[in-house]
Amino acid sequence: MMKIIKKTGLTLLFPVLMFLVMLAITASTEKCYVNGKLIFLSYDLVRQVIINACMTVCVALAIWLQLKNGRFDFSGGATMILAAIIGGNIGMNAKSAWVALIVAVVVAVILSCFTALVYIVGRLPIIICTIGMTLLYESLTYLVFNANGIRTFYSNASVSFFGRIPGVFLPTALAVAAFVLFTYFTSAGRKGKILSNNQSAGVNIGIDEKKNIFITYIYSGIILGLAAIIYVSQNSVEPQSSLATSSIMFSYIVPVFMGTFIGMASCDVIGIIIAAIGMEILNYGLNCLNLGAGGWQQIIMGVFVLGFYAFSAQIGTIQNILNRLTHKTAKAAP
Amino acid sequence: MNETTKAPGIFSREFLAKHVYDIAAYAGLIVTFILFLVFSGSRLSYNLGTVLQSAATYSIIALGAVFVYSMGYMDVSVGQQVGVYAILLIMITNKLGGGTFGVVVGFLAILALALVCGAFNGAVAVWLKLPSIVTSLFLMFFFTGAQLLLMESTGTNSISMQATIKPANRSTYNLVLVICIAAVAILVTYFFKYTKLGKYTRGIGANELATAQSGVATTRYKVLAYMAFGVCVAIGTFVMLMRTGSAGKGTGSGYAMDIMICLILGGMPLSGGMKSKVSSALIGTFTYVLLTNDLTTMGVDLNMINFVKAVIFLAIVLVTCRKKDGVLPR
Amino acid sequence: MKTMKKITSLVLAGAMTASLAGGVTAQAADGKKCTIGVAFYQDSGLAVDATKAYLESLSDTLNVSFTYTVLSMTDEAVNLTTVQELISSGVDGIICTMDLGMTSIVSECEAAGVYIGGYLCDYDTSYTSAYEQVFQSDYFVGTAIDGQAPDDVTGGTTFFESLIEYNERAEEPITHVSMTIFPSWAYPSQQTLADQFVAAVEEYNETAETPITVDPLDEETDILQFTTMDSTYFSKHPDAQAIISFAAGTSFVYPTMVQSGVDLKLFTTSFEGGEEENFGSNGTQTFQQNMVTAVESITYPLVLLLNAINGVEFADQPEDAERVSCSQFCINSDEDMEIFQNSIYYTANANDAMFTAEEVLNMTAYANEEATYADLKDILSHMTIEDLQ
Repeated sequence: MMKIIKKTGLTLLFPVLMFLVMLAITASTEKCYVNGKLIFLSYDLVRQVIINACMTVCVALAIWLQLKNGRFDFSGGATMILAAIIGGNIGMNAKSAWVALIVAVVVAVILSCFTALVYIVGRLPIIICTIGMTLLYESLTYLVFNANGIRTFYSNASVSFFGRIPGVFLPTALAVAAFVLFTYFTSAGRKGKILSNNQSAGVNIGIDEKKNIFITYIYSGIILGLAAIIYVSQNSVEPQSSLATSSIMFSYIVPVFMGTFIGMASCDVIGIIIAAIGMEILNYGLNCLNLGAGGWQQIIMGVFVLGFYAFSAQIGTIQNILNRLTHKTAKAAP
Repeated sequence: MNETTKAPGIFSREFLAKHVYDIAAYAGLIVTFILFLVFSGSRLSYNLGTVLQSAATYSIIALGAVFVYSMGYMDVSVGQQVGVYAILLIMITNKLGGGTFGVVVGFLAILALALVCGAFNGAVAVWLKLPSIVTSLFLMFFFTGAQLLLMESTGTNSISMQATIKPANRSTYNLVLVICIAAVAILVTYFFKYTKLGKYTRGIGANELATAQSGVATTRYKVLAYMAFGVCVAIGTFVMLMRTGSAGKGTGSGYAMDIMICLILGGMPLSGGMKSKVSSALIGTFTYVLLTNDLTTMGVDLNMINFVKAVIFLAIVLVTCRKKDGVLPR
Repeated sequence: MKTMKKITSLVLAGAMTASLAGGVTAQAADGKKCTIGVAFYQDSGLAVDATKAYLESLSDTLNVSFTYTVLSMTDEAVNLTTVQELISSGVDGIICTMDLGMTSIVSECEAAGVYIGGYLCDYDTSYTSAYEQVFQSDYFVGTAIDGQAPDDVTGGTTFFESLIEYNERAEEPITHVSMTIFPSWAYPSQQTLADQFVAAVEEYNETAETPITVDPLDEETDILQFTTMDSTYFSKHPDAQAIISFAAGTSFVYPTMVQSGVDLKLFTTSFEGGEEENFGSNGTQTFQQNMVTAVESITYPLVLLLNAINGVEFADQPEDAERVSCSQFCINSDEDMEIFQNSIYYTANANDAMFTAEEVLNMTAYANEEATYADLKDILSHMTIEDLQ
């Protein structure tokens, strides 16, 4: 029981700490008060953190699913954007959020499978292959729907149902379910772990690597399709070029690495969800301080990222020091 | 001479099989160059200058990047570094009266900054036990912010250099660019092929542990490799400013990806190692620049340009980067 | 439209007189066969599609073929390369929609003997810091601005008028507004627009029964750093009933309004497409004003380029190239929106354009000896929603 409480406490430590730090900073800053009310403590905080964290969780899980299996996939962002454009336009014409969701997922799965096919048949290093696929999918955003992307989907209340509370919970829950199902309940997920740890050994013991890659890409396609429906329900989506979609994807990558660290106390999927929430609290606090955009936001984010990684990389050393200290204290005690 | 030690002829199957990747990379360059000759028509000499001018900055930075990529690392902050260095060089030059003295001081300042950033990328990652991508991610965030703040302080969208560093005569300018590219290429080739720096960076890319265990101070060579890259970034920035004479809040954005694409097109293995070559930087850069130029002069529809580029990129890498056997490459 | 017809008939009458006098040979009237490169600031969108449709409709009559490319919004070197590639492809003139790296671009055009003009851009950076290199160059023909020049703005008053018109027809008038602008280092005229708007409201309040409160422009909260507005804006302006967005509101303000579920009115510049669904009395009724510049304003640099390529110029043409303000479509009622939806900007159909190819040809100095620079400049001040009627 104590173990569970300890794990829960450690897992929740990051967002709670983030909330308290941002609360302290905003509460001591005059400009965060409007009509005597602290704007940080509002329902908007809850709404924004939930909505943005849902989007972050979906993309982060798609990235992590491939990373966990030893592949860094550049094409996730392009797959998501193209699926969003196609799903959004078809859903808009059908005036149905469900049609948009289904089309986005189907398109994302098809694109992901095509990426897997090129990777397997082409036998290219994964980064080079997925950079090529990113360029290809981005170029397709100019060739579908008269290069108009999808601009008004998010502003139509009924079709953009999945971009707001409570609709946003469904694609997020499905994405988490797909991740958990693949990672913990399919043999492909378990074999993927072996391949990730030692690719050659995995192949030598008879794992069909190609089949494993295909299955992984089907699941990652499902998650990217679900991310696409949230994205198009919240944003105007324009055609993209010059690997701009990788920047969209990279903007969600910080919670992936943080999540894997936070998840050491529980499991990776919970870690990612918690990291996403913590990061969104940080972003909301910075917005309250008018530091959510511009030069200082970038610098703060850079320092935060470096600081977090530096801390997490030293965690073993810190633990050793703490253990030694505890040991000494115990010895010193009568 | 023993039959088995005889080098295969250049048209032999053995030779072709061994050098298929190099041949494909060169073939890409030759095809784009032929298209360039055909579609430039009467403006061939002008267009040659265009290609040279747009390739100069990319090729110099890509040449420096060979040191970093040969270790299997990458630097995502290079674009933002170029942006900040360009703005700083202009500011310092203008502050010092817009003369040659200002340009020299400005260049030395950005060179020093580039060396510090190189050392930071190489050393801090090792000291803090971080993947080098994290330190370059930090620098990317930091320089993006610095670039925005610097431009905000100027109160304008774009600042111009008061000094003229571009030769007035177009032929002289093109000649200066050729000399710059050639000089950097010769120096990089020398250091990469004939000194410990190149040997050990390739060693780190092939197997860092084995390299370290054979007595090489890998940290030192990582730092030196990043610093060498920094020098090329500073020179590349200067060459870019020679051309445009101005910089703004987005100058350099996208360079990191462009450099990566150039190197891939030139056949550079992103995992680094012994197959890394200096020629990849030059072949890749010129293929990339010529390809973009060809598509414009051919009058390809705006919406189709990216598609054609993507298909050509995939076609080239499917030949140059394909792994023949074993497990699927990562 | 009446004004437009008047101008057109004058231009046509001039053309007929010139033809009767026999002063215009057939070849000169047609003009040299040439190619003009158009470098857009973005590669897709309503304005891009409409501009292409308009230019293609002029192609045969003007004997011009057009080639299109896209500029970088951030990188001077990329823009210079783009222009060099256009020159390499054999263009005789270039229409450029962005002021980034212009000194090197103009000097490149000078070296290659290629003329260049501007469209949807005030070239403020060049105007204020490189006037000699750009505006005094023999190869720069001038630019048609997207709205007004920073020293000539009137848009703030237009926003105020739209607000008052809304209040006159609305059951619940708006009595409290907030504003947003882009940073002044990028868009120097937007601060002036905001000041104008505030001044107009203050003047109105002196006699108004129901005064309007404007939240003062906060340099941290209300300046959008080219990223979508963050949701805390609404907490920081809790009493605002409408947002006066001098920054492009459809892209930078509206998405946040939708996501946050706030029920505010939006008066903004720009029209990206799709706003009509929630405009005026339709849908959520969020948009109450959109303001855009007609794509036909490209006629100004086009005619000047054609003149230059054909080696002629207007008798009254100023020595230095000019940046000319354009009147804009201010769409602030259902009727205006209906009219706007029949314009080429919305339909991308050349039949809906303000000018036919013949009319544009007759604006040139080589096809019509009577054509003047003043007339050409004048068309830019007759591109309002009223002129579409």
